[in-house]
Amino acid sequence: MDFVTLGGDLLGTIPLGDIVLYLTPLNLFLFAVMLVFTLLIAISKTETQVEATFNKLSNTNVKVGKSEFKQRRFLAVICGIATAGAMITGDLFNFTLFMALIGILNIGIVSAVKQTSVLNSAYQYGLIAMMCSLPLFGGASIILASTGTLSLAVLSQMSASPMVVFGAVLMLLGILGESGVAPFFASKAEMFRTPGSPFIVIIHLSSLFIIVRAVEILLLVLW
Amino acid sequence: MRIGQIWNKLANPKNVPRLFAFCLGIILIVGFVVPMALNPDQLYPRPAPQVQIDEGLDIAPYDRGGVVMKEPGNIKPQYPENAAQLGMITGYMSPLAEWISSVSPYFGTSIYSSPGGLVDEILYYTRGFDTILESSILMMAFIVASWLTVNYTMKRRDIAKDIKKAADDSARVAHEVKVNDEKARAKQLRRDN
Repeated sequence: MDFVTLGGDLLGTIPLGDIVLYLTPLNLFLFAVMLVFTLLIAISKTETQVEATFNKLSNTNVKVGKSEFKQRRFLAVICGIATAGAMITGDLFNFTLFMALIGILNIGIVSAVKQTSVLNSAYQYGLIAMMCSLPLFGGASIILASTGTLSLAVLSQMSASPMVVFGAVLMLLGILGESGVAPFFASKAEMFRTPGSPFIVIIHLSSLFIIVRAVEILLLVLW
Repeated sequence: MRIGQIWNKLANPKNVPRLFAFCLGIILIVGFVVPMALNPDQLYPRPAPQVQIDEGLDIAPYDRGGVVMKEPGNIKPQYPENAAQLGMITGYMSPLAEWISSVSPYFGTSIYSSPGGLVDEILYYTRGFDTILESSILMMAFIVASWLTVNYTMKRRDIAKDIKKAADDSARVAHEVKVNDEKARAKQLRRDN
């Protein structure tokens, strides 16, 4: 499928050697929205959870310490920038690298919490993210081997052979695992149950945006 | 099994990596029957396996031609207009490498002959952005790991208790093994008599 059918008119490209970022209205919109969210997260403060105390009438405040706050804010901002970069990239391997970066940052954002259940689910998510590097990079390399190129602009003009379809299915599985969609959601959903709201939300937001972009990339490759 | 029970099992984070590994295994097994159609027109071309060995080139099988800063080597970018100087350092070798290749016909197959100029051109010229991203992934991993090392997020005082429990457990297992051993020996003795 062509760029024009999916994302609207081609507004321009950013050439970086073989990696050419391209701008269409759809990609540019996703990019801008992601940057605005990142800015909002960068200037916000964490929420404080108020929990009912068991067997007593008082409440407990669950707060985030200062060094933990700084660490999380830094990782959340980098995660937002990485997601924004994945929105406008025009190269298959570049996209998988952004994906791997987001996976590492997602683990990093929750690694600072003190609840053992959250840490445990972050550990399980880390196992999935480690396994995901095989289908992600394997899928991209299979597509490279069968077409001889990684550029989306060239790939969108080619017809899909069975090997390209297999590579795309592998990549899809990697994206599903890394962003925690349908059957693999539990480990990622449990990671949210901790104070520090705006920084935790970037985990969710990056998966949403990545899924939208991954659908576009798979359509470009397969049709 | 009802669908509700399956969903309940999936809601336990412990089961999710297993399910993912299972799905990945299934798809990889399906990959064995997918017809492999390799495209010979690759972005980063290589000569056929034995051609350069038969020709008797010094640095076979990694000779990609080209004279440093004068004549481009055998390398092809996706967008030639973005990489005008490509191929100019493909043939670069350090003085030591040139000396070894002049005395030995096996330089190209040895471990110390990485095709430096070519790798540099791909890593830092045509695909430089990928290299930046790769190193930033590493940097983020180091930041997370070093933050965790400086601020321990687990309770350190529980460790003494854990060690004691582990020691007790292993002592108990050793005792059980010993008892079972004696029992088996007694049984054997009885059978022999």
